[in-house]
Amino acid sequence: MHHIANASLTDKVMSSGDSNPAATPTPCVDIQGDGRWMSLHNHFVSNSKDKEPDVLFVGDSLVQLLHQFEVWRELFSPLHALNFGVGGDETQHVLWRLSNGELAHISPKVVVLWVGTHNHSHTAEQICGGIMAIVQLIKDKLPKAYTLVLGVLPRGKMPNPLRERNAQVNKLVKDAVSSLPHASLLNVDPGFVHSDGSISHQDLYDFLHLTPQGYQAVCQPLHAHLKGLLEKQAEN
Amino acid sequence: MSGDEINPAAVAQAVEDVQGDDRWMSQIWRELFSPLHALNFGIGGDTTCNVLWRLQNGELDNIRPKVTVVWVGTNNHEHSAEQVAGGILAIAQLLTSRLPKTKVVVLGLLARGDGPNPLREKNAAVNGFLRSWLPRLGQAQFLDVGAGFVHSDGTISTRDMFDFLHLTAAGYRAIAKPLSDLLLQILDETPEEKRASLV
Repeated sequence: MHHIANASLTDKVMSSGDSNPAATPTPCVDIQGDGRWMSLHNHFVSNSKDKEPDVLFVGDSLVQLLHQFEVWRELFSPLHALNFGVGGDETQHVLWRLSNGELAHISPKVVVLWVGTHNHSHTAEQICGGIMAIVQLIKDKLPKAYTLVLGVLPRGKMPNPLRERNAQVNKLVKDAVSSLPHASLLNVDPGFVHSDGSISHQDLYDFLHLTPQGYQAVCQPLHAHLKGLLEKQAEN
Repeated sequence: MSGDEINPAAVAQAVEDVQGDDRWMSQIWRELFSPLHALNFGIGGDTTCNVLWRLQNGELDNIRPKVTVVWVGTNNHEHSAEQVAGGILAIAQLLTSRLPKTKVVVLGLLARGDGPNPLREKNAAVNGFLRSWLPRLGQAQFLDVGAGFVHSDGTISTRDMFDFLHLTAAGYRAIAKPLSDLLLQILDETPEEKRASLV
């Protein structure tokens, strides 16, 4: 039995792929029978070969569904954005996808990363470690890119443990990126939780996914922030 | 299905709140057919068991729709095609018994996945069972809205199903036409209360 001091255990969880499952690149196993996850990944890889996006959005269903709403065409297509969101993805799935071809053919100036809410078997520390592993991978593969991590949104109709976990993830990530010149965390929650602790289905129709109204509230400030980042990248 | 076997796809079952935030217990509202005064009680991921549970536990208590559109079955991963069809039939039977005046429209399961795969065959088999079983219910009918999604090379386009399962706006537009035509026809045939309501 190894004796591990608390401080170094935290270091291991935060940075080492081996001891943090949320930070270990892992493909999704096809348990349903139609191989859609891998199909989507392959589609993203081949789809990127003739595109030159300035912005890459990558993450889970909140990224994927954004592409289906009018707000994408309004705000993000004009920025030459590509969308590599996959519903249900956890940090380790995004890490695998980006390690296996999705960044091979493109050089976006900004990568918008939105993931973590589906990591149900991981602690907030592990999820943060997973997000930071993705930030590091992007730095390695795209040395000139800026990574904008979006804060994980609150969820569920009333207060619940997942809201606390997600808030803790955001706090840990914010601390972790504070010393990095190539990454930052943006809180995109416009105040979805009301004073009585409830979330409205008009913002999150199933208390997890955004309605068009919810996306507008999230995306207007995100778009403004992105434009600022792109302008700064252009100056450098 | 032989009389004495229990079909697990027709056993009402609430979803266990395994994720911890109770989101499944709440309704999704989407105004796809709002001019027809429609309500939407769809929940992502639901199986026939989950829909049965919801219908038996309050969702039909306060409404009297003229038409009920049922679209479920593609997520029943633990069940055979015959069991899934049996589960859908159980839903149709429940609706006609709880809402004697309602007409039930059951939508066929769509193909899924990038290329040919076992789930496409399974969903097609479910549709086959439904085509022969539903007419026996009298007030229920089957509508296949899946034509055209599978191209001649066997692929489905992300322009129609963004993840090879869920419909894009374009995909929904394609299925909305035959569906709304049928709904208008049914509502037109229904004598009382021109102010239609459909679920």
